[in-house]
Amino acid sequence: MDADSPQMMHETRRLMVLKKSPIDGQALKRLAEAGLTWLRTNQQIVNSLNVFPVPDGDTGTNMVLTMQAAYEEISALEVQNFGQVAHAIAHGSLMGARGNSGVILSQLWRGFARSVDNQEYLDGPSMVRALVAARDTAYKGVVRPVEGTILTVAKDIAAAAEEALKKTDDPYEILKEIVAAAELSVQHTPELLPVLKEAGVVDAGGKGLFYIYEGMLRYANGQSIDSSAVILQPLATVVMENALESIEPGQDFEVVVDFHPNSQFDLDKYYRGLEEMGTSIQVGEGEGLYRVHIHVPTELRYEPIDFTMTMGTITKVAMENLIAQMEQREAPSRGSKLTLAPVEAGQIAVVAVSPGTGISRVFASLGAAAIVEGGQTMNPSTQEIIDAFENLPTEQIIILPNNKNIIGAAQSTSELTVKRVAVIPSRSVPQGLAAMLRLVPHGEFDEVVGDMTAALNEVETGEITKATRSVEINGVAAREGQYIGLLNGELVVSHPELEGTCLGLLEKGRASDFELITLFYGAALSKSEVNRIVDAIRLAYPNQEVEVQEGGQPHYQFIISIE
Amino acid sequence: MADEINPLGSIHVSPRAIATIAYQAARESYGVVGLAHKNLMAGLSQVIIKDPTHGVEVHYENGLVNIDIYIIIEYGTRISSVAESVKNTVRFHVEKALGLSINQVNVHVRGLRVSEVD
Repeated sequence: MDADSPQMMHETRRLMVLKKSPIDGQALKRLAEAGLTWLRTNQQIVNSLNVFPVPDGDTGTNMVLTMQAAYEEISALEVQNFGQVAHAIAHGSLMGARGNSGVILSQLWRGFARSVDNQEYLDGPSMVRALVAARDTAYKGVVRPVEGTILTVAKDIAAAAEEALKKTDDPYEILKEIVAAAELSVQHTPELLPVLKEAGVVDAGGKGLFYIYEGMLRYANGQSIDSSAVILQPLATVVMENALESIEPGQDFEVVVDFHPNSQFDLDKYYRGLEEMGTSIQVGEGEGLYRVHIHVPTELRYEPIDFTMTMGTITKVAMENLIAQMEQREAPSRGSKLTLAPVEAGQIAVVAVSPGTGISRVFASLGAAAIVEGGQTMNPSTQEIIDAFENLPTEQIIILPNNKNIIGAAQSTSELTVKRVAVIPSRSVPQGLAAMLRLVPHGEFDEVVGDMTAALNEVETGEITKATRSVEINGVAAREGQYIGLLNGELVVSHPELEGTCLGLLEKGRASDFELITLFYGAALSKSEVNRIVDAIRLAYPNQEVEVQEGGQPHYQFIISIE
Repeated sequence: MADEINPLGSIHVSPRAIATIAYQAARESYGVVGLAHKNLMAGLSQVIIKDPTHGVEVHYENGLVNIDIYIIIEYGTRISSVAESVKNTVRFHVEKALGLSINQVNVHVRGLRVSEVD
């Protein structure tokens, strides 16, 4: 193997993470963060596995919140001792445990921490002992353990770890084995729990636990943990500016390559090759021309170009030194495109959570004092929300979560700040916008909160997205890959075409009884597609005003407001 | 009596039947290691009698069903989360089985079982 080949460099990097430096408390901290991040990236996948109706709330969200609480306990900890960090994680997860799966997760950490106790470093044998202890503690917490759940996956992980120890005492090799075993265990859960088989899903809690371990493995491998799937986007949406929002350590250069793929081009293979080099990978396609965007460390800055040359003909290359660019910008890049409303002392300031840049602009234009970008996963942490308003020169804060999964995190902020915080429980962007219209910055706080809350019910929310699996709810049958329309969060229509779904949704929402239809189009749509659909809507609803805005949100093709 | 009356006849569900469903649901909840009679004194928490409704009380008030559950939780878990989970799970299973809505499910944590000392 050539010493400078990508293969060798990747191998070296991985070894540096797990082997060269022994696994101490700080390594555990990074691994825990990786597990949390990857789980958060796949949070919605876990949520979608819940068997309706759910007595417990969204498993994915609960596990993320629990892991987050665990991580918050150690994020500022500089301690080297492995055992001490483990104990802190256990403590944090206990305090933040949400839902059944969260409590079980906290038990797993508890057993793990007790086993490693005060150890300086983690090695193979102690790792296996700790995983067994984790399983034992978790099983102790219930009279009748139900198999086919997260408990089973924890059990299979412990068994796989014990097996692996017979062949190796390298923690990295053991981690590989347990991730593989966890994956198999999750796939097997429908065989153990009939209700899973009926619903055609695997167990949500088990899948969540798998993601935590997989995240750690991906981190050790140098693979990306904040983009979960290859999504081919229209060329126009591979925006360079977004790249600066979050730069991981070690990613120094941003490389963008335009190319025409050759006849043997395989997108999955290409993407996997890119994953070995860097992160924040986006591949866009427009009229036969592909554009790839990637962040790489300095020593690998030419890799994407060389690699792409083997896959096609390059037409253009752009490289930017990210760190140098970061130093030139003064303010956080998030706020730089928006003109946010200036806040005077004693005024009410509104913090809005937004899924897309276009929508952020609308909130800003309506008077929002701060915007929290929800990002790909629409799951900002409590801390991110607090950071948005903590430095505003006023004590009166109103938060618009604009998503039902964020309401909890928004409400948690009131415990962590001395400011007066009210959360208007907006479950969607249209609701949030309706509330914004009632904002009176100089008004009396409780009165304004009351008015804004009342506004939530005055607008109907439509969301158009693609079905990630086949479901039948409320008498509506949707096949995986079809478009579905949700009215105020409920599935009401499904259609193979985007246009048909939109029209169906508007019909279910009785749009003809209302006056204004506003469509926010997502990042995945081209202008021409949007125009075509809007024309069709205008034709169907000649008596209503139809407005179009660029929303820029991921996942949802359209967010529609009917009022 | 939890009643359902339709033109074909009436269905009566006894409190004991409701209690049994609630009991099973509570026992399956994570964090619950036993149910305890509400008069159980402290120190006797190891004694868990195998009555299918032990630790569960079902009351009717003006046509509304209220359930009280007395549980013992594993030390080291987050008590509020476990109790919340029990409340939701009991409600879910009873309502699913009976098709009736329950007014209140009150969870009483009677004790903790210490399996391991931290």
